[in-house]
Amino acid sequence: MKSLPYKSTVFVLLISCLLAQESFAYVSKETSGDEIMEEVQKRHQQFPYIYEEQSMVMEDRHGKRDTRKAKRYSRVEKDGSVDFLLLFEYPREVKGVALLANRDVDGNTKKYIYLPAFGEQLIESAGEGSNDNFLGTDFSVENLTGEVLSDHYYERRDDGEMEGIKYFILDVYRADDEFEKKQILRKHFVQQDNLYITLTYHYDKRGRISRTQTHHNLKAVDGDMWRANMILMEDKKLQHQSLIKITRRVFSHDYVPAEVFTAQWLYEHYPYEEPVEEPTMDEVDFEMFEDMIEEARE
Amino acid sequence: MIVQACMLGYKRRVPVAAFLLMVTLLAVIGMLRLQVDTGIDSLIPADDPARVIYQKVMGEFGTDNKTIIYIKDENLWTPEKLLHLEQLHLAIEKTQGVSRVDGIFSLHTIHGVDGKIVSRPVLRSAPKTVEEALSAKESALANPLYLGNFFSEDGNVTAMIVSIVDADDRNNFSREIYQALEDHINVHLSEFEYITQVGPPRINAELKQSLYEDFMLLGPLSAVILVLSILIFMRSWLSAIVPLVTSIITIIWTFGFLGWVGIPLNILSAMIPSLIIVIGSTEDTHLMAAFLRGLDENKDQADARKHAVKYMAKHIGLPLVLTVLTTALGFASNLFSNIGLIQHFSIAATFAMLANGFITVLVLPLMLSIFASDKNTSLVKDKETNSVPNRLMRIFRYSQDHFPLSTLMMTAALCLFFVFQASKLYVTNDPLSYFQSDRPLIQDVKRIHEDLAGVKIFFISLESKHAKAFQEPKNIKKLSDIQDFLDSQGVYDRSISLADHLKFINREFRNSGIEDSIPETRKLIAQYLMFFHRSDLDSYVSHDYSRANIVVRHNITDSHSLNKYIRELEDVMKEIAGSHMTSHIVSENLMVNHAAESLMVAQVKALVILLTLIFLIMSAMFTSFKGGLIALVPAIIPITLMFGIMGYLDIPLNPGTAMVAVIAIGIAIDGTIHLLARYNELCRYTSDYIEAVNTAVREEATPLIVSSIALALGFGVLIFSNFTIVAQFGALAAATMLFSIFANLLITPIIMSRIRLVGLYQILAMSVDRDVLDGSPLLQNMTDYQRRKAILISELNEFKKGDLLVEQGSIGRDMYLILSGKAEVVRKDDGESRSLAILMPGQVFGEIGYIRETERTADVVAIDDVSVLRFDYERMQDDLKFFPNIVAKLNFNICYILGQRLADMVASSKNK
Repeated sequence: MKSLPYKSTVFVLLISCLLAQESFAYVSKETSGDEIMEEVQKRHQQFPYIYEEQSMVMEDRHGKRDTRKAKRYSRVEKDGSVDFLLLFEYPREVKGVALLANRDVDGNTKKYIYLPAFGEQLIESAGEGSNDNFLGTDFSVENLTGEVLSDHYYERRDDGEMEGIKYFILDVYRADDEFEKKQILRKHFVQQDNLYITLTYHYDKRGRISRTQTHHNLKAVDGDMWRANMILMEDKKLQHQSLIKITRRVFSHDYVPAEVFTAQWLYEHYPYEEPVEEPTMDEVDFEMFEDMIEEARE
Repeated sequence: MIVQACMLGYKRRVPVAAFLLMVTLLAVIGMLRLQVDTGIDSLIPADDPARVIYQKVMGEFGTDNKTIIYIKDENLWTPEKLLHLEQLHLAIEKTQGVSRVDGIFSLHTIHGVDGKIVSRPVLRSAPKTVEEALSAKESALANPLYLGNFFSEDGNVTAMIVSIVDADDRNNFSREIYQALEDHINVHLSEFEYITQVGPPRINAELKQSLYEDFMLLGPLSAVILVLSILIFMRSWLSAIVPLVTSIITIIWTFGFLGWVGIPLNILSAMIPSLIIVIGSTEDTHLMAAFLRGLDENKDQADARKHAVKYMAKHIGLPLVLTVLTTALGFASNLFSNIGLIQHFSIAATFAMLANGFITVLVLPLMLSIFASDKNTSLVKDKETNSVPNRLMRIFRYSQDHFPLSTLMMTAALCLFFVFQASKLYVTNDPLSYFQSDRPLIQDVKRIHEDLAGVKIFFISLESKHAKAFQEPKNIKKLSDIQDFLDSQGVYDRSISLADHLKFINREFRNSGIEDSIPETRKLIAQYLMFFHRSDLDSYVSHDYSRANIVVRHNITDSHSLNKYIRELEDVMKEIAGSHMTSHIVSENLMVNHAAESLMVAQVKALVILLTLIFLIMSAMFTSFKGGLIALVPAIIPITLMFGIMGYLDIPLNPGTAMVAVIAIGIAIDGTIHLLARYNELCRYTSDYIEAVNTAVREEATPLIVSSIALALGFGVLIFSNFTIVAQFGALAAATMLFSIFANLLITPIIMSRIRLVGLYQILAMSVDRDVLDGSPLLQNMTDYQRRKAILISELNEFKKGDLLVEQGSIGRDMYLILSGKAEVVRKDDGESRSLAILMPGQVFGEIGYIRETERTADVVAIDDVSVLRFDYERMQDDLKFFPNIVAKLNFNICYILGQRLADMVASSKNK
């Protein structure tokens, strides 16, 4: 396992979060919030190449569910730049829809969206904030791509305990904006025993909890490193929730080749289809199909 | 029995008072359970099939109980103003009962610029700089989904749409929500040029408030009007106090009854106290007038007061029962309305009218026994020749005497004209139209409509059998086509559907400024839809995309027009939707509007039923269908004029005005009953029935005019109601009462004098000495009713002196009763004639033929001019088959006559 340059360590994937062992030895009462997060980073020892297969289940206020399946690719280069691709596979109508994100060595992030049905072009996505829903989920793009430590300021609060588990509690503020700094963005609950963030409150601009993110089904994936196989984001206000379940995870360069993060690769594997006249479901003669099936059976 | 009931309060004061007190106490306890319901739900027929669809659509696409917070300010898009707006938004979100707030701080927009797609809230929070605020403004106004719904064209107005949870309003839920919103608004009132809220909670709360205000105003005002009018016309304090007491007891009983049976008060209930005071007082007035007349007639007798009460009971008892019955029928004719508002009012008013009659019968004699004097202290006398009633009657008499036909023709022409005007009538049932137009709520509605789409909402729902149907371009186009038709109708303010969302996002992605177009493929639609959060689409498409919803906002207040547009829309919608899809147009507002149509049908039915009942009752009273028809004249003329005036003055039929006809008829017929009852009575004592008409009119004119004017004034009080429908009801009912004077005293007498209204019994009563009938052996031991019934089946025959009434040897089954003149019974044997008997008035002949078909045994010859009643055997058998008691009495009397004749013959043969 390689040690990553500093630049890359600041890119933390929330869904992979952080873990550590014997964390108490490195954290004292005087340790600041920023230092705890750095410790979390160190413990994390992030893999540079991650491939995941995910199921996303979205449940609305009536309890009705939508399921999507997606592949997630992330790759941290030696120079510190990071590529991220979230590629939808199911339902079939959205197969090939992709979010492509790139953070360059200077920390500038660009996000593009690819809609195969729209045409072979990447559309730059701008204006997504930390609280904006991404593609109908309760996650924002930032939630999916990761929280950059250097962009934030972490203020440690009094430690807490819930259900017998002790937590470091950190308030997250934006680092580069004095005014915004006073505006809480998130509150992380870091498990003291493994330095894994298992609970995060997301706040709206009015300082109210807008969403709650919890991590479940923690697994030690490699030594000290842990991963959550289920991440739940709940929007209390809209009574809506999204669950990401990781069904497969591979830490391998082979699974995350660099060309995956290119438009060409997307166009090639998920090409644009010319519009054709399609009958509506109402217009389809299902009886004819049934007859044909019957005939085939005979 | 009626007389005995009327005397109960006079003779048994303590038990009657105790009974009244006990029931009143019970009623007071019941009043504590009273509830008020001003909810829109009571305007919708309970059996409306649209309810189920409506509830399904609401469950799927969210409530239509939405309040619009309207905020206007020229400097709206500045950090300071937006900060206040944000605080308001935040505060309202926290309000209990608020399920969702859509506004500037919750709206998301997608914007395509320079090849980029920007997806972000219009404003996450109040901006810090003017530039930021202006950028948000630009972004907000560029979104066609929000323009007109949330922002005015110039951006100076924004709306916050507050969704309210569905809850039972009986616990003042609406008022609490309204007040909570109002409290939040008041905090920021000075910060904006104008800020207000409009929505069901405010409408409901204001309906309730107005109802309370009406209760406080209308009842007391009616009481004052009543006391004043009675004092002016009758000049008797007791006459003024008595109806006040009976009315107050009736009001307590009525509201107590409503409390016990769980019927809530509604906006129409506001007029119940006034109705009780006004309508109830007319009976008290008639009774008091009869009592005073009784005092005059019995002034020389000891205990004149008791005699006067008896006189009152005897003369007014039956008309009192009939008038209470017809008035109650007028209200009861709405009992079966499927609109809760009207049905509840109808139950309350019917009970009130019946209770008032009952209370009057008990209380009035009781009060007279305590407070009345033995002398008529009333200053008013019919002899006052310059009184309003007398002057009016002089004009009427002149018209009746000099131009009766012209008067009838002119009335017919007038009625025809008003029938034509009535054809312009239309129906409306919009709750907002219940308020006066100068009310702030209505002004606010207008204000909102000037800057944004109207506050009224309906949904067009399309449903396919297949999931994801509304991800198909062809089906999205159906939504778009329906919206195009909505636009072509040109009466709605705004419609939004999934098609608008998709066209919008397509435009922003294309970023080419091209015409809005629907995405071409199913996949592109599905992929675009990923950019919307599910909650953004909740109102427009079902979770599985099998059902879609077009939200339409408008400001149409005229139910008739709206229903017409909706019918047009339904036709087109079904055609566009095609046979594979079901489609519905729903909203609470529309169901209320549909109820207007059923309101019209229900009122026509109620009117027909009431007129039929009145016809039957009056026909029975006069034992003549002509009597029933004539009684309808003073009922039909006023309502024809009333409907005509409504058409002419563009007053719509609504839950208030629709009831005027039946209620007014029920009341107006009271005067007719008194008039015809008096005429009926007079006919028994005079042979000149035209004089009877004149006398009846002369005697009844004053009380009829006085009570009609008092009723008109009483109804007129309702003009001061906060509710337009109540005010219109009052004005129209008042006008109808005045029209009824004209119909009762001008037209009805002309018709009465031209059509022989009276039946055979009356003619006999006029021309035959009553002793003849009393002394006739054929009618012995029969009650008046039985005699009357038997006589009505006979025929009156006139014979000249010398005429042969019955011929010996002929076969006939008729029996005759001599009314006047004499006849001789002559038997011819072997060519010799022998006089057997001279028959006098009251005597009977032909009874043997009547009993058994046989040859006549003698001639009967008139020796004077003779009037006889001829009883036909066949007809008697047929017509009296349902009256076995009468047949038995008649047969017994015939047996008696035959027995007597046999005894005479035996005695005669012995003598020989």
